[in-house]
Amino acid sequence: MFEEASEVFDNMFKSSFPLTFIVFIPAVLILVSPLPAEAAHEFTVYRMQQYDLQGQPYGTRNAILNTEARTVEAEVLSRRCVIMRLADFSYEKYQKALRQSAGAVVIILPKNMSALPQDIVQQFMELEPEMLATETIIPVYFAMEDDELLSIYTQTLTSSTSQGSLSAAEVLLHTATANGFQMVTSGAQSKAVSDWAITSLEGRLAGVGGEDLPTIVVVAHYDSFGVAPWLSYGADSNGSGVSVLLELARLFSKLYTYKRTHAGYNLLFFLSGGGKFNYQGTKRWLEDNLDHTDSSLLQDNVAFVLCLDTLGNGDSLHLHVSKPPKEGTSQYQLLKELEMVVSSQYPEVKFSMVHKKINLADDMLAWEHERFGIRRLPAFTLSHLPSHRLAQRSSIMDVRPHVDVKKLGRNTKIVAEALARVIYNLTEKGAPGDLQIFTEQMQVQEEQLSAVVEWLTAQPRAAQLVDKDSSVVSTLEYHLTRYLKDVKKHYVKADKRDPEFVFYDQLKQTMNAYRVKPAIFDLLLAVCIAAYLGVMYLAIQNFGVLYSVVRKITQPKTKTH
Amino acid sequence: MTLFHFGNCFALAYFPYFITYKCSGLSEYNAFWRCVQAGATYLFVQLCKMLFLATFFPTWEGGAGVYDFVGEFMKATVDLADLLGLHLVMSRNAGKGEYKIMVAAMGWATAELIMSRCLPLWVGARGIEFDWKYIQMSFDSNISLVHYIAMAAVVWMFTRYDLPKSYRLPVTVLLTLCVYKAFLMELFVHVFLLGSWTVLLVKAVVTGAISLCSLFLFVTLVHSN
Repeated sequence: MFEEASEVFDNMFKSSFPLTFIVFIPAVLILVSPLPAEAAHEFTVYRMQQYDLQGQPYGTRNAILNTEARTVEAEVLSRRCVIMRLADFSYEKYQKALRQSAGAVVIILPKNMSALPQDIVQQFMELEPEMLATETIIPVYFAMEDDELLSIYTQTLTSSTSQGSLSAAEVLLHTATANGFQMVTSGAQSKAVSDWAITSLEGRLAGVGGEDLPTIVVVAHYDSFGVAPWLSYGADSNGSGVSVLLELARLFSKLYTYKRTHAGYNLLFFLSGGGKFNYQGTKRWLEDNLDHTDSSLLQDNVAFVLCLDTLGNGDSLHLHVSKPPKEGTSQYQLLKELEMVVSSQYPEVKFSMVHKKINLADDMLAWEHERFGIRRLPAFTLSHLPSHRLAQRSSIMDVRPHVDVKKLGRNTKIVAEALARVIYNLTEKGAPGDLQIFTEQMQVQEEQLSAVVEWLTAQPRAAQLVDKDSSVVSTLEYHLTRYLKDVKKHYVKADKRDPEFVFYDQLKQTMNAYRVKPAIFDLLLAVCIAAYLGVMYLAIQNFGVLYSVVRKITQPKTKTH
Repeated sequence: MTLFHFGNCFALAYFPYFITYKCSGLSEYNAFWRCVQAGATYLFVQLCKMLFLATFFPTWEGGAGVYDFVGEFMKATVDLADLLGLHLVMSRNAGKGEYKIMVAAMGWATAELIMSRCLPLWVGARGIEFDWKYIQMSFDSNISLVHYIAMAAVVWMFTRYDLPKSYRLPVTVLLTLCVYKAFLMELFVHVFLLGSWTVLLVKAVVTGAISLCSLFLFVTLVHSN
């Protein structure tokens, strides 16, 4: 047959060139054709943080994943993709996977994170900084649970747990029936993003009466942080701070439009970017204002800098300072006014001052006011958290339900009242402690606050995702321009040679789970097919037997014809 | 999966053809070139069918899950062209009945194997994803070989002018069954919602039954005169 075929082909190719063309081109095309991506399941995965800060690498250093899935129960994890559910996630399991040099870790998050039991949320929140604390060589991904993914997880779990305790026959049967899954990400290797600009926004309300007016600076950082940038919505930290700042801007802009209530203080509002990366936006803003310009509000007469951070929940307020304010300063005045407002109007709120010195040896600054403190500006941070170390400030669990609009409104009111008392010097003028300025038409609008928080938590605002043209920045700018004058944008770009911060891309990817069988299955199949073909061969060889049987059956009939 | 898996599927699909070709003695008749011609006829007939379908059958745009009975039936009717094609192949070959049938069926089935199964196998079975459907497809090609041999035999019997009157009816029934087999199977699957392995089994059984019937008829016819 082959000789004939080759003869035929020879003639064909010799006689006609076009025929060669027709036969060969498709053949070549087929041979070089890429493998199709027809997956059992396709889902979006969010990569863990990857960034360098002050030359120190953090987070996962890898984005490429092409390995078989296992759960952590399996005996061998090396070069496998370990999938875990958040409900079963623990640091020991994570460490076990890393120790056994797993190929990757995929953590499946439930669809509705706010419905999780509180202890699991708390546990995971505390794990997040640990996972980020050192660099991880393998890729770590987070995926949102759906039915398909859950079924993949269950199938992997059954095949992972049943290993090792089976007989050879059972293993063979198992390979034929059970499915393995090959997890493949479609993206390229992560690489550093060059020239990433972090945007900060500034706006002011100018006071009246005299040249050298004191300035009050209100600061909040707008970016969020979590173990995966695409999952960090940062509701309480620091969506609440931003919403309070915008509300303060609205209230004081109203006061400053009337001659009678126009006060002798300049108000400077600053929404800083890169707050979770050692307050990069604030740092550059201070450098620009103090070192590179001749005249700036920050250079002359700063009464104090009030930083707002995590104000959306809790029944306590803490004023974090790096140096206890001395009597007679306006800092001290604000502290007293806050105490007064809280004690006379909101006795249920516990107010306290927390003193923590700036530790310059630390890699990370604790609070935003320390940036100002380093530049010798009187500053403090107001927060409902007693310590900067609490995990709420950098968690993907910090979602919209973490902000209680009622409490947020109350905190806004306290800050606004205290600020107004300082600005108009009400205590010295003998105003009672329960005098309310922001009532009726001037009251704090909870709808406004909740709308801002709602909008801020509708998209992840990690510093790696908010570029200078993003809608977050432009909407914040629009809000500021509604109330404030001289709204300006400030950009921070890391230095090219010695960058303070480096972000990496490939933070969101599509992952495919392909159903696969082990190599032994192929062999098994080959043996079965060979046996089948052998039977076929015998059947066709002995077709004559069937033929003669049929003939014998039909013979008597033909004879009677 | 791997290239090995593709090899498995390919062997499963192709080897029965090879064995049939060798064992039926076609190779001794120098029939390779004739089989190629039959294959070429297959291509020509499929092209005609496609043109016809594309011209006269608008695409069905009914709701999902709705079975277009009449449309599918009409489409299956176009498969009558296959019978014409097989007849054309056999009429152009001189020789004994068995020889004509085998050449036509082998060429026809092989052309179908190459045109409609090689590419999906190459693309699919070599991919990362494992799916039983490629093994099933290979089994299906074995079944279709038997199917085409039976069909060619029935066509050959039908076109014989010395066919006895009493044979006319059973042969016609078989012919109709051959043509509408795919359509009936589809209908069956649609009604009973069978799994893919069951479908394959049913297909094998039905094809086996049809082939056995045509073998009986053939044997009776050949040895009656």
